[in-house]
Amino acid sequence: MKSIMMVAGIFILMSSVLLGAEVITVKGSDTMVILAQRWAERYMAAHPDVTIQVTGGGSGTGISALINGTTDICDASRPMKKSERDKLKQRFGTLGVEIKCAQDGLSIYVNEGNPITELTMQQIKDIYLGNTTNWQDIGGPNQRIILYGRENNSGTYVYFKDNVLDGQDFAATTQSLPGTAAVVNAVAKDKWGVGYGGSAYGKGIRELKVKKDAQSTAYAPTLENIKSAEYPISRYLYMYVKNRPTGKMKEYIDWILGDEGQNIVSEVGYFPLR
Amino acid sequence: MNKLFIISAMAAVCLVAATVLAQEKPPTKEELDEVKGIVNDLTESSTEYKTYVDALRKIKITGYLQTQFRLTNLNATGGQFSGGSFPANVNKMFQVRRGRLKVNYDNVLTQFVIQIDAIQTGFTLKDAYLSLTEPWLQSFGFQMGVFDRPFGYEISLSSGSRESPERSRMFQTLFPGERELGAKLFYAPQLGAMSFMRADLGVFNGSGPTANEFDNFKDVIGHIGIQLPFEEATAALDLGVSGYFGKVRNNTKYLWMDGSPVSGVKGFVADSSLSNRGDGVTRRYLGADFQFYIDVPYVGGLTLRGEIISGKQPGASDTVSAKSPNGKNLTTISPAAQPTGPVYQRRFIGWYLNFVQNIGDKEQIVVKYDVYDPNSDVRGSDFIAASNLSAADIKYSTLGLGFIHHWDETIKFVLYYEIVKNEVLNPSTSLTSLIGDVRDNVFTFRVQYKF
Repeated sequence: MKSIMMVAGIFILMSSVLLGAEVITVKGSDTMVILAQRWAERYMAAHPDVTIQVTGGGSGTGISALINGTTDICDASRPMKKSERDKLKQRFGTLGVEIKCAQDGLSIYVNEGNPITELTMQQIKDIYLGNTTNWQDIGGPNQRIILYGRENNSGTYVYFKDNVLDGQDFAATTQSLPGTAAVVNAVAKDKWGVGYGGSAYGKGIRELKVKKDAQSTAYAPTLENIKSAEYPISRYLYMYVKNRPTGKMKEYIDWILGDEGQNIVSEVGYFPLR
Repeated sequence: MNKLFIISAMAAVCLVAATVLAQEKPPTKEELDEVKGIVNDLTESSTEYKTYVDALRKIKITGYLQTQFRLTNLNATGGQFSGGSFPANVNKMFQVRRGRLKVNYDNVLTQFVIQIDAIQTGFTLKDAYLSLTEPWLQSFGFQMGVFDRPFGYEISLSSGSRESPERSRMFQTLFPGERELGAKLFYAPQLGAMSFMRADLGVFNGSGPTANEFDNFKDVIGHIGIQLPFEEATAALDLGVSGYFGKVRNNTKYLWMDGSPVSGVKGFVADSSLSNRGDGVTRRYLGADFQFYIDVPYVGGLTLRGEIISGKQPGASDTVSAKSPNGKNLTTISPAAQPTGPVYQRRFIGWYLNFVQNIGDKEQIVVKYDVYDPNSDVRGSDFIAASNLSAADIKYSTLGLGFIHHWDETIKFVLYYEIVKNEVLNPSTSLTSLIGDVRDNVFTFRVQYKF
């Protein structure tokens, strides 16, 4: 009797593994985690044979998980680095497949009580490098600038550092916070704070207009300005997979890139690819 | 730790807030001030903890442990290039091959690295170097200490990541220990139009990774590599060329070169000029390498790697191999003193091809073929009785067949069988045990934990 129960148990266990829903794991960008969760919820509702598990942790964490083989899809708010691609090549013999899935304008947030409305790229750079430390220096009141930013495993952090700071280090006074939502909350509470992050999070605080240089027009991070590349701090959001996707994973990625998936991109506050 | 602290802090605030809210009367100013005080304290503590956590994040500790069982069909001392020689009367044994612990303090543009190897026979220092990258372009850098020689591809491919249990015979012979004491400049842009390229050029002692330097000759080693991605085809081709330009001090007046010791016989002839003593004997290698990657639909990534090295190697007369740098009775990879024997100068050539097919995420099939001819001026038929050729002049080829299973991201199992073929010698040779192919194939079962 005992052995029959044991065999039955093993059979049930194996059946549940073999016949159960296909599981797709998604890990990476905190910027994209709400978008990824919304995609997963909507897709699973229409495809009960697929289970999608979404976790954040940052783009760097997601890419490491892809290299370690512990996630199927990596969400990243920055492109993979050369050194990361090398590790993927070494372990899996593949370059990985990069899939652009949305666009995002990286917003500069200030508190609603701050009179500043626009900044040049150079001014933003000087603020975050610690060269400009008082709002008075850029046309604001005589108040010290409080810097908020992201942790260094964040794709947003890397993108901002590479594209706004030209690869230089953030000022030591920058307070790094876990997630763009935390940056928004901090700036909302700190009248003289400044932060950066995805536009999807930019609710309840003011997003500054940004201009390429002092002679240029300032643009807000809107759909039109990002698509026309007038807004200077825009980026793609990516998904990475190890191999050319097949089966259920391909169906899911195709769905994300299709009308329904791209509508969700707009709903969440990012910008669709087309 | 940071997250744990934040969660604890939030829990504490929630608890106090819940206590306040649970009271029937609205909170008094004193009670609100108390909550505010707690929040301020927690914020202050959080900032302090964050400083510690940010500092600790720069310290990266990695390592791997390789335990293995090896079996050879030769009941004698063989397998020295397949994981080390078997002791006399032993043809099967367990080993701890590597017990590595690497500490890297990564301050973005500067790095400090120490790596030790702890196995059953003792501790060894493997890496110990500092590295810095200039802050302006973040493309040029400098590195100094003991680290991998910048030559070819397989040297820098750690055994924790490599599919075959050991490096090719040519690398084990020409670059024993892989590392060297010295300094190098590198150009490695991560972004921009030149990010497809990497170049390294260094100056090294040339006496091995852990030896005291025993001559004033310094060796120059360099490698230039480019990466060509073909995104549409999900493929990539990496190419590289390398050079090694050095000298080894001759402690005797004898320099043996390829020639005819007796008319019609190939072997070595000695140059016994007094000026040879203290002179530098050329150690020069030129190499080329490629790595091709392609994603095979429904199967997994395929990798094909290859390298070829040719050049001049100063070595000993009668060791089993002409291991670097030179000298008689070179039984260790890093002689701690000036080698005392005469120098034998050989022209060599070696190459390998390594095929790896991933089957899904967990399995890999490996086929590797490597050839090393330590003396390309002679063939097996030249080993006649009158010749002064030795075992150090014999060409070897090795066919390796392997299967790897990745249990998870930390553990992998490796099954690998190496078919080792030596050059068949002339029946009249004095090296009678090497007239036919020696039965020295090796089977390796390895379990590795890497973190």
